[in-house]
Amino acid sequence: MAGNNSFLVKMGQLDRRLVFVVIGIAVFLPLKFPIGLAVVTTPTTQDVFNAVDSIPEGSTVLVSFEYGPSTRPEIEPMAITLLRQLFNEKQKVVAMALWPDGQFMSTRVLERIADKEYGLKWGVDYVNLGYRPGQEAVIKGIAKDLRANYNSDVRNNPVEDLPIMDGIYTVKDFDFIFSLSAGYPGTVEWVLYAADPYGIPMSTGVTAIQVNEVIPYVKGGQIKGILAGMSGAAEYENLVKAGDATRFMDAQSVAHFLIVLFIILGNISYLVQRRKQTA
Amino acid sequence: MSRDVWTVVALGMIAVLTALTVMFLSWGIGNHSVGFGFWVGSVLTLGIFSYLYKDNPFYKFAEHVFVGVSAAYWIAIAYWTQIDRNLWGRLLPEQFPQGGHEFNGFYIIPLILGIFMLCRLIPSIGWISRWSLAFIVGLYAGLRMYGFLQSNIMEQARDTLRPIIVPGSLVDSINNFLLVVGVLSALLYFFFSKEHKGVFGVVSRVGIFFLMISFGASFGFAVMGRISLLIGRFDYLIQAGTPSAGRASVVVAVIMILVLLIQAFKDKGSAEEA
Repeated sequence: MAGNNSFLVKMGQLDRRLVFVVIGIAVFLPLKFPIGLAVVTTPTTQDVFNAVDSIPEGSTVLVSFEYGPSTRPEIEPMAITLLRQLFNEKQKVVAMALWPDGQFMSTRVLERIADKEYGLKWGVDYVNLGYRPGQEAVIKGIAKDLRANYNSDVRNNPVEDLPIMDGIYTVKDFDFIFSLSAGYPGTVEWVLYAADPYGIPMSTGVTAIQVNEVIPYVKGGQIKGILAGMSGAAEYENLVKAGDATRFMDAQSVAHFLIVLFIILGNISYLVQRRKQTA
Repeated sequence: MSRDVWTVVALGMIAVLTALTVMFLSWGIGNHSVGFGFWVGSVLTLGIFSYLYKDNPFYKFAEHVFVGVSAAYWIAIAYWTQIDRNLWGRLLPEQFPQGGHEFNGFYIIPLILGIFMLCRLIPSIGWISRWSLAFIVGLYAGLRMYGFLQSNIMEQARDTLRPIIVPGSLVDSINNFLLVVGVLSALLYFFFSKEHKGVFGVVSRVGIFFLMISFGASFGFAVMGRISLLIGRFDYLIQAGTPSAGRASVVVAVIMILVLLIQAFKDKGSAEEA
């Protein structure tokens, strides 16, 4: 029993670098040798799928890119799957960005999906309006007059010459808003300044760290579903087409299991140590 | 930092550059830009990861590059998107036609406020910058106030008014009950005008439990987010470790580990001598 106790105490005093190495191995191995763990769709992800699915064919959807290279592993799989679902259902996509990095992210994803995978036409089936500075003021601005804020797309084509923009003068003219968000400004600002005031249906995909901040809007019906971090992306891929997030989920699950194990062992070790000190 | 450390780092950098040159020479011209990206990405990613072992020159190098590049990136973004297009583009549309704007004299106000902000650089007139700050604070307070009132207070309060008993659905009834109890008890916990004793104390204690569950969920999501980022970098390093990328990450990792090991042995030796 004493041997067990000393083992547990030692576990609590493990060199943190050893923990890093173990987590590193736990992430690396499943990426290199996939296990294929099951991905089960949660209701909030199903809600996103259903909301996008219910948009009438030929609608114009505003997709806002509010993430950068650091959060790409979480959000990009969502963006790719969203575009696939939208283009499968013959929707038109207008992309924009509230983050400067978001323009690079949207360009990359649209080139891969709209241009190469679906062979769609710029300005007719999709367009990228790019980034404008001003954070939530941009949302306020396009709620009043979109063309005052966006007079050209990222290829410098005047907005009035783009067939996809016919009849689109304010944010109210979009049939649906989808925010791909990794922080501020992002989903919350879209709810505050566009979805709620003008009653525009909206859905979102966010980084895991943002979920707690955004979930009250989902429960309150202000947002239709939520893709929560990488697991949300994998679940969404499960409903549309498998991609990177599904491939990454093995590593995520194994790492989570190990972290839970470390937390349990750390707590037991702490309790044993405290009992020893008080004895 | 000792001279020895710098010698070891310099040797490491020279080794990396030599390996880079060999790799580039062995490829076709078309691969250079992609290959170079993988090498730079590997050096910076592994340099940052090396901090997990301990603070070291590789980490310092990556950190300084990051800080420098970020500062330059943000200055460039701010200039080309805000000052060039939005400010000069509206005040001097003929000279700055990129934004495609017409002349708008009102933009003289942000120009003046921007100049006021720069007054911080001169201590004797630094107080003028407070006017610009006051404008920013006032603008954002006003902008956010009505949004928060509608979306965060009215809509959220409306959604909390749920029937505690939902006929035919026990799960919904339990959910609604927990929601109402959670909201009320957590709110009461933040009511400090009455001592938390008796029934009030019990309810506020229940509120603490709900808050703890919320913090736990936040922590769980934070862990998930961080692991996702780690997965992203590892996936990149795996790609950079393929033969088509010149096995960049493998070469860089081996060199870094060797340099850090040599340094660790040298440090140990000098500590024993002392």
